[in-house]
Formats: sequence, structure tokens, C-alpha cells
Amino acid sequence: MGIKVKAKLKNGVVKVKCMAKHEMSTYNQMKKKTGNSDDANFITYLTATVNGEKVFELSTSQFLSKNPIFKFQFQGIGAKGDKVLMTWTDRKGNSDKGKGKIK
Amino acid sequence: MERRKFLSMTLGALALAAVPASVRAEDFRKTKPTVWTAHTVEDGIKNLYGSTTLIESGVKLKAAGESFDSGKKAVASSGGAIPVDFSTEIPAKSIAVFQDANPESAVCVYTVSKYSVNDYSIKIKMGKPGTITVVVEGLDGKLYAAKQTLDVALGGCEG
Repeated sequence: MGIKVKAKLKNGVVKVKCMAKHEMSTYNQMKKKTGNSDDANFITYLTATVNGEKVFELSTSQFLSKNPIFKFQFQGIGAKGDKVLMTWTDRKGNSDKGKGKIK
Repeated sequence: MERRKFLSMTLGALALAAVPASVRAEDFRKTKPTVWTAHTVEDGIKNLYGSTTLIESGVKLKAAGESFDSGKKAVASSGGAIPVDFSTEIPAKSIAVFQDANPESAVCVYTVSKYSVNDYSIKIKMGKPGTITVVVEGLDGKLYAAKQTLDVALGGCEG
């Protein structure tokens, strides 16, 4: 569990690469595995904030890969040393967070 | 009178458009629940944006290393983690990714903020060969899109 966050500032644009640790099981997979498709669990919502401002927001489905990797970029906010805070929520209501310093 | 009415309407529209993107933030799973249960790409787009009129320009898409405009079919060796990269220069409100190989079509929906540089990469699962569609909702209210068809050697949803 958790999110690994790497952020790099270059030419005024912060490029972020992050990996969320999550099984991302689909309804079909769980139906095969446990017989109950309702056991499926996957990240449904993911955000990133810098200095209290939202820079990334994503609603997701079960079709992202296991331990999904996201790359995104932002500009106009965030200096070297600032932290990119990320959180996710999954279908079962669990949530987790992670952070990375902008380098 | 007519002119005044027109002016106030225009001002109202401008005020709406000027609301900062951070205020418009939303979890599309809560606000548009039907998007995630739609089985076809067309229904998914319709449930999300209320229209299926797509303008196929202004969006760049690369799936499994093959660009959408190369005219070639991309081939993913494993359907479990297919790299999908996309970007656009169009001033956007939101960006959505769909595919037609899995039981449901929606993959994810981004809310674009005033800080966003719209250049993203994700990895997705596809159970069989199919087409990935990236839809960009422009600030002008129009829908822009790019599509890439790919072969999947080994399905990613069953294994």
C-alpha cells in the first residue's frame, strides 16, 4: 500500500511519475477467484495537491493495471523542495497517501 | 432592452466560464455513475458528456508504443499493463479514456485544473484486442478525440 511519488521541475513544468500499490482486481477476476464479483476492488479516485492547490484529479475504473503508474505534469505552482501530496480512495472505501519532494 | 438582456446573458456566461478550475473539481464516479457501467464506448461518452459527436483532431495518442496517426496497428505483448500516452494543446475541461475490449468501456476521467499540462501516461488492462479512445472535452464545449486500435497477445483481465 502507499503511493510512490517522484517529481521533477524542469523549464517551469513539474513532471510527476507515481505508482500506487494496489491489486486493481476486476469484477471478472474476482468472480473467477472467489465466486463473488462484488469482491472486486480497485482505485476509484486519485488526487495530487501542491501547497494546498489541486494539480491533478482522476476518477478511475478497474481497467488500470495492477500497481498502476501515472505520469502527469503541471505548471504555475510548486518550487524545488515543495511536496506533491497524493491520495487515493478505492471501491471498498480504503484510502492511502504518499508524497514526494519536487527536485 | 434587447441589448441589455443580451449583455447580462453574456456576462453571466463569462462569469461561469471564469470560475477557477479548482472549484469545478469533481469525482466523476459520484457525479456520473452511469459512465462506469456503460458497456460500449459510445454509451460511455454519451453518459459522460451527453453527446457522441467527436472531432478527430488536436489529440495525440500512443498505445503500446505505436502512435495513433502511424496508420499501423499497435501490438501489446501482454494485456495486463499496456502503456497509453496522450496529450493535447486544446484548452480542456476534462479528458476521458475509453476502450472497447473489456466488459465496461470507461478507464478513467481526468479533471483538468488551471495548473495542468495535458500530457499523461497510464497503464491499462485489456482482455482482448480492441480500440482505445481518448476524448478531450474542450472549454469550448466540443469533444475532440483520437483512437488507436491494438492487438493483445495475452489478455490481461482474466489471468
